[in-house]
Amino acid sequence: MKTGIFICHCGHNIKHTVDVKKVRDYFSKLPNVTVSMDYPFVCSEPGQDMIRENIEKEGLDRVIIASCTPSLHQDLFKDLLKKAELNPFLVRRVGIREHCSWVGDDLEKNTEKAIRLIRAGLYSAAHHVPLEEKRVDVTKSALVIGGGVSGLSAALFLSKMGMYVYLVEKEERLGGHVRTLKDIWPIRQDGEDVISQMEAELRARENVEVFTSTAIGSFEGSFGNYEAVLDTPTGERKITAGGVIVAIGFSPFDARMKPELCYGRDERVMTTIDFESRAGSLAVPDKPRIAILHCVGSRDEQIGKPYCSRVCCINALRVGNAIKDKYKDSYVESFYMDVRAHPRGGEEFFEDTQEKGVLFTRGNIAEIIPGPDGLLVRGEDTLLAEPFEREFDLAVLSIGMSPPVDSTLIASLLKITLDKDKFFLEAHIKLRPFDTAVKGIFISGTCSGPKDMEEAINHGRASAVKLFGFLNLGYAFVDPFIAMVDMKRCSGCRMCEKACVAKAIKYDEVKRIVRVEEAACMGCGLCNSTCPSSAIGLKGYVDMMIDDEIGALVEAI
Amino acid sequence: MEDQAGKNPQIIGFACSFCTFKASEMAGSLRMKYPEGVRLIQVPCSSRVDPAFVIKSIFEGADAVFVAGCHPGDCHFIKGNYFTRRKIAALKEMFDAFSMKEKLRLFWVSAAEARRFVEKVTAMHDEIKEAKDAGKTN
Repeated sequence: MKTGIFICHCGHNIKHTVDVKKVRDYFSKLPNVTVSMDYPFVCSEPGQDMIRENIEKEGLDRVIIASCTPSLHQDLFKDLLKKAELNPFLVRRVGIREHCSWVGDDLEKNTEKAIRLIRAGLYSAAHHVPLEEKRVDVTKSALVIGGGVSGLSAALFLSKMGMYVYLVEKEERLGGHVRTLKDIWPIRQDGEDVISQMEAELRARENVEVFTSTAIGSFEGSFGNYEAVLDTPTGERKITAGGVIVAIGFSPFDARMKPELCYGRDERVMTTIDFESRAGSLAVPDKPRIAILHCVGSRDEQIGKPYCSRVCCINALRVGNAIKDKYKDSYVESFYMDVRAHPRGGEEFFEDTQEKGVLFTRGNIAEIIPGPDGLLVRGEDTLLAEPFEREFDLAVLSIGMSPPVDSTLIASLLKITLDKDKFFLEAHIKLRPFDTAVKGIFISGTCSGPKDMEEAINHGRASAVKLFGFLNLGYAFVDPFIAMVDMKRCSGCRMCEKACVAKAIKYDEVKRIVRVEEAACMGCGLCNSTCPSSAIGLKGYVDMMIDDEIGALVEAI
Repeated sequence: MEDQAGKNPQIIGFACSFCTFKASEMAGSLRMKYPEGVRLIQVPCSSRVDPAFVIKSIFEGADAVFVAGCHPGDCHFIKGNYFTRRKIAALKEMFDAFSMKEKLRLFWVSAAEARRFVEKVTAMHDEIKEAKDAGKTN
């Protein structure tokens, strides 16, 4: 066996806290290591060429890449081995960045840890065997959950690319929150118009089925062939979809969670959404005094919403603008923490609003006290560092976005993860922002964190493109990490059969041993750890590999 | 037996690919710090952890072992972690019989809980180290 070890510096990311030369020298002395090298970036093209040259020159049959965490760039290194005419499963990735150099500061201890981690990879790689990637047939159809603006744009794209689309919406009508919005900045169009255009386009397509007032009853299967039962008003409907896009949107922040603002107890305190729907029928004097509160339900640790909702600053500006347009002599004061007018043209809009006469006071509002003639707003001016009290006729709360009410339900049905704020978690914030940890399930729109409309549409389309790429060929390759039975060792005790969650293990009455149905096996390895005779093994994670890893991690250096 | 006091503990952790290993990746990306003695072995699901691995880790010289997976109900493999919970509970009884109950821990960390991961492993490391320094460990 000829093993090559390639240690990445990752620029300074690894080199900074791991003595890569020492690690390299340690391994070059080991008997079963043919090549031990370090390189600034093994993922770069020269780095890849260097590895390939070494594989070809030295005839390596195991390649250990000590670099970032195994889930990053895995396909890159698999392709590299394929190019060098080696089986892609003979590469072993060792994460010495996320699991070593980034989590410790001590150079000496980190170097020791890196050596142990790489050694575990080395020992384990000895048991790697060439594997064939499993080819699965993929249904060219997609389930889009949520018919808001993001889900609609994803569904439209997929349908235009020839995928069959099932669009599921919980409510009676499509469009989500956008449908209720008026005069959307900066396009100055009503949400109703935007949505009806999209809806008309979607309904005219033949390869789209729209289910409204529908919930997801159950969800099973694996990538390429997910099976869902939809609870439609006309009864249950079973569908098979190759992939899923989750676009269940957000819930507006419930301002009653901040009782000191008196929302829901006094009509004169309203949210930006209420203001929009009631703008025509407001009972205010000719020269109204109106307060606008930013960051209600955002950037607030006390109520568990530490994040910025990204859209409410622009919303607050819109309200200020609208009031100034309608009542020239009004007194409008905006209480803000920071004005984050980040979309294109946002800063100009902010300046515009200031020029129209909306006052901006940097301050925290402590409470709103309703009185017979008006609302008393009390708070602290954080620039002057002094408390203030002012009378207003109306207070508009610019509320933020909360995670969708169904996020926990959908997460447990689809087995995808939520982040700490209960929005959906992406697989990698920068490298895989649309993927979930589950292959073929994507997230789109505000259900993965607050977004404005433009971003939600882009997110939906991007997820759709990613899913299209997965489904387009009609087949896909998945990792072959499934269970296999050693027929000589199997005693036919059937313990694995009882344990298997996927029901992938079948008992052969004639031979009196079990066999694995490869298509059904999920690859969890439960059977492997259940078998008393070590007769069933999970490819890629066989007992010997883990046994040797354990030894390598604690053995003296 | 050589003097164990003053030495940093070596802890082996079995981390499931979908939750705890992801959380550890996130902890790394966020540059959170935890002791070098904590080393992970990636397994597809916590149910892949054979009790024999835990025993072997102790035999080989690890001071403690933890098994970590997705929260109950969140298992990517539907209910693998329920099996883990039962298996580890039985194993704990055995460890208890050998007065080394504190050497085995089971906890749940979701992919988003990088901070929880770091808190759990650091606390475990510190407790094991304290016991070691006091000479209470066998």
